[in-house]
Amino acid sequence: MKKVKRDVFSRLKRIPTAHFSMWVVGIICLIALLSYLNVPLTPYSFDQTSETVLLGPSMAHWMGTDELGRDVLTRVIYGSRLSISIGIITALVGFLVGTLYGAIAGYVGGKVDSVLMRIVDIAYSLPDLLVMILLGVLIGRGTVGILLALALTSWRGTARLVRAQFIQLKNEEFVEAARAQGQNHLLIVLKHMLPNSLGPVIVAMTFTVPAAILSESTLSFIGLGLSPPACSWGTLASDGWRALRTHPHLIFFPSSFIFMTVLAFNFLGDGLRDAIDPRTRI
Amino acid sequence: MFAFLVKRILYAIPVLLIVASLTFVLVRIVPGGPFDAERNLPKEIVANLEAKYNLNKPVHEQYFLYLGRLVKGDLGVSYKYANRTVNDIIGDAFPVSLQLGLVALVLAICIGVPLGALAGVNRGTAIDYISMFISTSGISLPSFVIGAGLIFIMGISLRILPVALWESPQHMILPAVTLAFGPAAYLARLTRASVLEILEKDWVRTARSKGLSKFSTVVKHVLRNAMIPVLTVLGPITASLITGSFVVEYIYAIPGMGRFFITAVSNRDYDLIMATTLVFSILLLITNTLVDIGYKFLDPRMEVDG
Repeated sequence: MKKVKRDVFSRLKRIPTAHFSMWVVGIICLIALLSYLNVPLTPYSFDQTSETVLLGPSMAHWMGTDELGRDVLTRVIYGSRLSISIGIITALVGFLVGTLYGAIAGYVGGKVDSVLMRIVDIAYSLPDLLVMILLGVLIGRGTVGILLALALTSWRGTARLVRAQFIQLKNEEFVEAARAQGQNHLLIVLKHMLPNSLGPVIVAMTFTVPAAILSESTLSFIGLGLSPPACSWGTLASDGWRALRTHPHLIFFPSSFIFMTVLAFNFLGDGLRDAIDPRTRI
Repeated sequence: MFAFLVKRILYAIPVLLIVASLTFVLVRIVPGGPFDAERNLPKEIVANLEAKYNLNKPVHEQYFLYLGRLVKGDLGVSYKYANRTVNDIIGDAFPVSLQLGLVALVLAICIGVPLGALAGVNRGTAIDYISMFISTSGISLPSFVIGAGLIFIMGISLRILPVALWESPQHMILPAVTLAFGPAAYLARLTRASVLEILEKDWVRTARSKGLSKFSTVVKHVLRNAMIPVLTVLGPITASLITGSFVVEYIYAIPGMGRFFITAVSNRDYDLIMATTLVFSILLLITNTLVDIGYKFLDPRMEVDG
């Protein structure tokens, strides 16, 4: 297992876009973490005088200031906390729920499988954004509500994936051997089947992070996600949208961060997929 | 084919019933009612309004009343747009979304599929890297960023295209491009992956070795087979493009289904929420059926059933 990990990693580093993206993702996560330590200005401290509001980018304020004279760079850094953690938590929850669900469906099979999979089919028969909007409103518009709404739509793909893997693995000889030895089901699933189906699942998880970041920012943008005083890249872009005509820097910087982060995660996902399954390697 | 269609229609009924029931339950669990916004309404008036729309009845009674009306094709009334039935609103909004969605769909296919095929055939070359960079960027850009960028460049700086409303064909350009961007990028990535897989098949080598030119191998043998996964995703993509992208209609102030859905959710306009959701599900069922018929054209061996 260790060797596999090392192999995948070294193959990943040989893909230039993926290698570069690892650095980008790392740096952005680091910025989000470091913001807890020390930030020169707080995102809510404002200096509302005619000389300090809605300034364009300058040496003092690299990304300018907003309508309350707040420093946009500081707000973008603060926004990264929420945006990044929403992306990662959604991916983790989707991974845990989806894997559990798919593993049960695939391993147990039969009636349980078809009932569980019909539920997934129904969950897929509505557009994601529609479900998220309804759930978001249902659970509440705070961070927790959005997280739950995102997580509730992120598990379906993983569930299908894991189920398909498990159905394939169930008939492999090493699984049959384990069963013949009389190992209990939990052990077979955890020790033999899960590790062997993890590759594609991890790839799927890497793609869930950017998808969740996009969904959160989109929801916040149309006013059905987070709303101020919560500060994420989506709410910042939403604020900037209203001033697009006069002060485009307000939407430009948060949007660029969304784009950069999501692009890096997508390239990383592509790279991981190619590294885990060398047949598709470019 | 006839039996297939009958089977699909029979399958659609329980699916729609489940979707309708789920949405019904969901919108009613959501805290807040349709008349909360008018805070200064006296209690008696709210009670009267609720009585008028049967909202004071127990939920299960409301549910059966709703289903009864639904069977007759009556989608109910909007609480927000007074004196307008939901049938009216959908009748106005749906053609707008349909037009926008179809234009965007054609754009997405015409750009995405050739881009992906080109990248796949020229794997590992500059063409491949450039088109993959473009398409990965495409799936990484939220549509509001694309929209804001296009509005800023085309509408505000250059002043060559209108940036909002839905009046002339020129009004359609920016929203359609914004809407098509994501699906085009997605289709390009999918087409590339699919082409790469097909290129490794034995029968492609056979086609080449019997002297067929690279061009006709790709066009006649590879593309046709590579389109199968593309066709699969076209179902949901078409449905969501047609029912209106919430964001694009919001940005460009287009009176389509997506925008009505957003306002309906904010206003707790129950019947309107239900209707938009149902229209989406029906569209999804129709497009998936069309996709299955499409398989038959690409690969006559495929069985179209269930």
